[in-house]
This record gives sequence, C-alpha cells and structure tokens, in this order.
Amino acid sequence: MHPADRAMPVFKKDSFARKWGRSKYLLLLFLPTLLYFILFKYVPMFGVVVSFKDYNLFRGIWESDWVGLKYYRMFFESPDFFKLIRNTFLLGLYKLVFGFPAPIILALLMNELRHMMFKRFVQTVSYLPHFISNVVVVSMLTLFLSPSSGLINQLIEGLGLDAINFMAREDMFRSIYVLSEIWQHVGWETIIYLAALTAIDPQLYEAARMDGASRWKQMLHVTLPGIRAAIIIVLILNVGNVLEIGFEKVFLMLNPAINGTADILSTFVYRTGLTQGNFSYATSIDLFTSLINLVFILTANWISRRVSETSLW
Amino acid sequence: MKKKWVSASLVLVMGASLLAACSNNGGGNTPPANTGENTGTPEAPAKQTFTFLNYSNPSWPYDENWPIWSYLEEATGVTLDIETPPGGSLEDTLALTVASGNLPDLLFTFTKPLADKYGQQGALVNILDYVDQMPNFKAWMEEHPAAVQSAIASNGEMYIFPNQGIGETNRMIWMYREDVFSEHGLEQPETWDELYETLKELKQLYPDSYPLTFRSGLRYLMNFGASFETVGSMNADLSAVYYDFDKEEWVYGATEDNFKTLVEYMNKFYAEKLIPPDFLTVDTKLWQDMMSTNRAFVTLDYVGRIDFFNSALRAENPDFNLNFMAPPAGWDGGARKNAFTQVSQEGFMISSKTKKIDDIIKFMDFFYSEEGRTLVSWGKEGESYKEENGAKQFIETFTDVSDMRKKMGLSTDGTYIWFDYDAHISLASPELKTAYEQGPQYDSEQQPIPAFTAEEQEVLSTVGDALNKNRDENISKFIIGERSLAEWDSYVAEQNKLGVDKIVDTFTQAYDRTMNATN
Repeated sequence: MHPADRAMPVFKKDSFARKWGRSKYLLLLFLPTLLYFILFKYVPMFGVVVSFKDYNLFRGIWESDWVGLKYYRMFFESPDFFKLIRNTFLLGLYKLVFGFPAPIILALLMNELRHMMFKRFVQTVSYLPHFISNVVVVSMLTLFLSPSSGLINQLIEGLGLDAINFMAREDMFRSIYVLSEIWQHVGWETIIYLAALTAIDPQLYEAARMDGASRWKQMLHVTLPGIRAAIIIVLILNVGNVLEIGFEKVFLMLNPAINGTADILSTFVYRTGLTQGNFSYATSIDLFTSLINLVFILTANWISRRVSETSLW
Repeated sequence: MKKKWVSASLVLVMGASLLAACSNNGGGNTPPANTGENTGTPEAPAKQTFTFLNYSNPSWPYDENWPIWSYLEEATGVTLDIETPPGGSLEDTLALTVASGNLPDLLFTFTKPLADKYGQQGALVNILDYVDQMPNFKAWMEEHPAAVQSAIASNGEMYIFPNQGIGETNRMIWMYREDVFSEHGLEQPETWDELYETLKELKQLYPDSYPLTFRSGLRYLMNFGASFETVGSMNADLSAVYYDFDKEEWVYGATEDNFKTLVEYMNKFYAEKLIPPDFLTVDTKLWQDMMSTNRAFVTLDYVGRIDFFNSALRAENPDFNLNFMAPPAGWDGGARKNAFTQVSQEGFMISSKTKKIDDIIKFMDFFYSEEGRTLVSWGKEGESYKEENGAKQFIETFTDVSDMRKKMGLSTDGTYIWFDYDAHISLASPELKTAYEQGPQYDSEQQPIPAFTAEEQEVLSTVGDALNKNRDENISKFIIGERSLAEWDSYVAEQNKLGVDKIVDTFTQAYDRTMNATN
C-alpha cells in the first residue's frame, strides 16, 4: 500500500447494511474470483499432505499410510540434491538479473517515442513472441542454432570460424535460455510499466523542462521515481519466483550433454516423480521448493520495506 | 508459465481423490475364485456389455462402427462400452479414474509398471486367481512362459494380460539406401571398421551429408551395442543393466570395455562428421528430413519405416530404395546382432470393483484361443479375409496397415491380445517382407524385465536416476569430445561410486524373486 493510504482520516463507522447496499454489485463481481481461489488454490493445498504419506491412489489420501518425512529425506539424500538446487537457483538468478531490467528499459525507450503510430507498432511486435508456445520457441532455437543446418552457424562458418554446437554446450545453456526468455516476454512485461508511466503527472515534466533538465535528466528524476513503486512490486514478486522456472522450456531444451547445467528441480520432479507415478515424492519436492520461494519473497519484502518503504504488505 | 500441466494434473488427482476418499471403503479384496462351473457350450453367447477405458490412437481414432466390434460381439456376445481419455493421455486418465474410485470393468494400459502399481494398491484383479476358469489361457500360459513371466508383478500376482505377436511391430533394424550404395559400387559393411570406411566414402561423395543418422540421441546406442555384446538400455530413465545369459547374471553395460569400443567408434564418427554434430537433438522430424533429402544413407529404426520412406519418396525419386541391412559386427568375427525390441507391454486390466468378474474372465479367455487369435488379427473368414493354399489374405486391398486399421479397427488398441503378425506382413511391400524374413537371424535373446517392489523402485529413482544422468552426460561428452576418452577409467570410477553395485543388486534381487515365483 502507498504510505499515504495509512494516513487517511477515519470516517464514522458505517452500518453493515449501508456498506452492503453500497457495494453489493462490487461484491458480486468479486464472487467468481473468490470461488476460483477457494476451489483451485486453497482446497488443493490440502493435497500437500500426500507428501507425508505413501500415497495410494486407489485407497485415497486419507487411507494412505503415513510415512513422515521419508520422501523429504529421500530428496535430501539424493546425490543430485545440491546440483539441482544450484542449477535451479542460478538459472532463476540470471533470469532475474537480466530479465528483470529488460522490460523497464524497453518501456522507457518506448516512452520517449514521439511518433504514436511507430510506438504502437513496436509495442505490438514486441508482444507477439509472448503468444508463441514454448514448444515452437524451442524448435526455433534448435533449428536456428543447429550446427549442421542452422542459420547462425552458417553465418559463423561464413566468417571462416568453426560451427558451435550451441545446444550441446553446458556453458551455453543458461545464456540461450535467458536470452530467449527475454525475447519471448520482454514486450509483454512492459505493459505494467507503460501503465505506470501514464500515471505520471505531465506537469512534473513541464516543471523539469522549465528548470532546464535534459531528456536524460527528466527520465532519471521524473520518470524513474514515477514508476518506482511498480518496479519494486514486480521485483519482489519475481524474487519469490526465482526457483519457479517453467518446466516445459527447460525440459524441451534438455539433452544429456547439458545435464550438468540444465537439469533443474522441475525436470527432476517430472523424471523421478511423475513419470513413475510417485506423487508423494513429487509433492514433497514441490512443497520444499515453495518453502524456499516463501523465504525469498519474505526476505525481499522485508528488505524493500526497510530500504524504500514500498512493500507487498 | 510454471509447471502448468504438471501441477494442474496433480491438483486434479488430489482433488478427485479427496472426493473419492469419502465413498471408498478400501476395496481391493478379490473374491475367491470359484472353480468348475464353466461347462456350457458357447452356442448362443448371452448378450452383455462391459465398460472399458481404452485408448484412442490419433492415427486411427476409435470408431464404434468398426467391423471388429461386431465380429467380437458375434463370437462372444460381448459389447464393449468404451470410454477414451478425454485429454488424450491414457496415463493421466488412468490415474484420475483410479483415484475417483469409479472404475470401469476393463482398463487398458501401455506400460506394465502402471498395472503393477495400481494392482498392488488394490484397484485391479489378480488374474492368476482365475486361471482355472480360463482353459485357453491356461494352455497358452504353458506355451508362452516368457510372456507370462513378464506380466508378473513383484508380489507374484498378475494384473495385466500377457500378449504375444504384436511386439513384432517394435522390431528395430539397420537400414541403408540400396540405390545409393549400388550407384557407387558400395557393399553392405560387415564390421564396424567397414562401416567406418563406407561412411567415409559416402561423406566424400556427398559432403553435405551425415551418412549415419539416427534419432532420439543416445537411446539407440543400446541397439548399436548389440553387436558389441553389450545391451544395457540407454534410455534416460532406465538403468543400463542387462542379463548376461552366458554368465547367468546381471551386468552393468555402460562401463564395460565393449561399450567403450562402441563409444570410441561414435567419437570417431562424430569428429569426422559421419554422424550429425547435433545428433543428441535430432528428433523425428529432422531425421525424416535428412533421410528423405539424400543427407543420410544408413540408419537404424523401426522396421515399418522401410515402407514409410519408400512409399512416400518414390513418387519423386522412383529409384529411392531403403532396405534391410544386416547389423555390422563390432569386430572381425564378432557377433552380428540387433537388440531385441520385439516386445509390447500394453494390455487389458480388470477392475477389482467389477460385479461381472466371471463373465469378463470368460470373455478374456476367448482372446487366447486360436479362434480368437484369428478373429482379432484377420477378422471373419469370407467377409474380411480368405484363405488360399493355407495362407490368409485380406479380401479388401488396403494400402498399408494403418489404412486397414482405420477401415476395419483390426489391431487397434484394446481389440486384441494374442496376435497373428502375418496379418500385418501380408500388407507389407516386398522390401518390408524381406526385412521381416531376414530380421530374426540377427535377433538377440529377449531380455527379462523384472518387476520391482516399491522399495526397489525407490532405489531406482534415486540412485538409479543419478547414475543414469551421470552416464548420459559423460557418454555424450566422450562422443562429442568434450571429455577425452583417456579419462574413461575415471568415468568408470565415478559410476561405481554412484552405486553401480546397488543397481545390479536390485535387478538381481527382483529377477530372482520373479523366477522363484513362477518356477
């Protein structure tokens, strides 16, 4: 919440009936969302109990035997435990470090455009990749980067250099993933910043111009502070998702030569939990991941509240 | 984003089982087998209907008007009320169905471990309890001990009906472009050294080609390995363990010296661009593209691919001729083998909740009779097939097997168990027929597939998974040259440290248990 909200004067207490009468249509509008969250987000949460049980599909959750922390222990003792955490964390971190500023920069650039038609055009084109499915994106990557027939390697070979087997190089995986991820989503993610930009009072720019501020200075001292709240909220949310990396794309890109960097928690869950029908094991790993994410988001929120007075709650 | 479908299906399964938990009274007790009583002659079989969760293959989607259903109904009186997976994936639908507790009488699965899992959880009938009611099946079991053994679960019970015959469709062979070879006066290679020389010549003739091309990354190393006398699986979620019939013990394949020899060849092929530089990511589409544009001349794949390529490509290039190639020996005088892949794990399962168990048992028994086998493979005499000089032939002319499947429903999922593969061969081109004739002389012995207990399964998915991952990573690097083959010994040491012994012990233990249960 904006700090100003807390300073709002307290109005005289309304009667329940009045409040009801005033907001019943709003509440009606809210109802589907509420139902959605209860049905699809809160009720299934009870499902985490299977991670403490030897889940027997036929007997159901309650009839299954309790096994305590067995599946957690199985995961912690797995020889790949640290490697998986490291791979997932690093991939998420790179995505955050490079992927987070990208839409801000793009939004600022678009904000400077004066030609409306051109601006709309750039906006639309930059949204498009967001609607391409991951399966297609990975096929495109494989085709473009193929060392035998790929466009990129033909260019490299045209320059007289040796073809690079991009998709089979451990050290390339994270870069390819993060770059393609930015290409896919940068346009889409500018929306929130562009919305925040429209809320900046044009008088501020006028005043700045009067004082002789250049375009650069205006951006630094008017635009950026204007969208600071949006930036910080998005950052906190992203920090909470560092370990939540889309399964599909990594899974599709995965091949044995890059196991060392590309095998992450979700591909591991898929392989050892779901393909073998071991739902308990899969759930325990997911719950563990969620706990770590929770720690991240709480920490980020706490730091942000201390430093900038902007926070989620 | 996120693990969308993964968590969505989890949520569904959990939600469904929450609801199911209330109505479930922990069933799963099989009723005692009542023996005798199966005497009546099957003159006019009583009409009845069983519900059946079956798969509908997108290439020949389920059609309730297929002749096969009326043939079956005529012979057994049974109509199958079929539901097919709404979303497409049979595995997910099975999980949901089992979790809902609302099971149809019959269910279909592609993989036997799934049958074992749900069976041991109590959802399925132990078929062995009813063998005495199935005279045909009983006789069949004696004739097909290997098939029966591979259907047994780790607790000695049987939850899936063993099949025989259709596995032939999974036969995998070497193939080569006969037209290109004869154009340049090249001979079929008899050893891997000759293979190397031949590929090099092809590379010179066609500099843009990768003469040996195959799909699915490392997986086909298992098939290549057969001629190197090592056949451990290279499938990402299977251990590279195999049963050595000479030593009569389980062996870990991926660290053997023979396997190293194969990897050395692959490394050499890779360095000289005889296999595609991106062979790890060559998928079906890319492989098909390369095969059909003169960029690959030798390959290894399913036998049916002979007709797939020939019939598609002869329209443009009448000389195009992909043909059976004998597997080259790993070394002079070595064995020339293909890995044994002629197995199919799919089959029927019976719900433990069905009220019609005796009738279902009788129905299933029909599939194990000669009459049943002919009916599900060929259809009805005089109507769909005729017999001339002792050889059966379809009456209608079909362009290929899938055409026949689409029109008749014969040999679609859930219509057969014991299958006469001659029905498919009768529709094959001369090249493909030759492949079927030539193939068997290079067969390896069929590998046993032990059934694992839940504890063993856990070892496989923890220790086994780490081992597989390390194996695939390193073998890829050896081939690509990112790791020098001089370091092979330290790779072997790494593998051993990760628990090769544990995995071999697990297989041995599971195998011994299966053997004791069935002998």
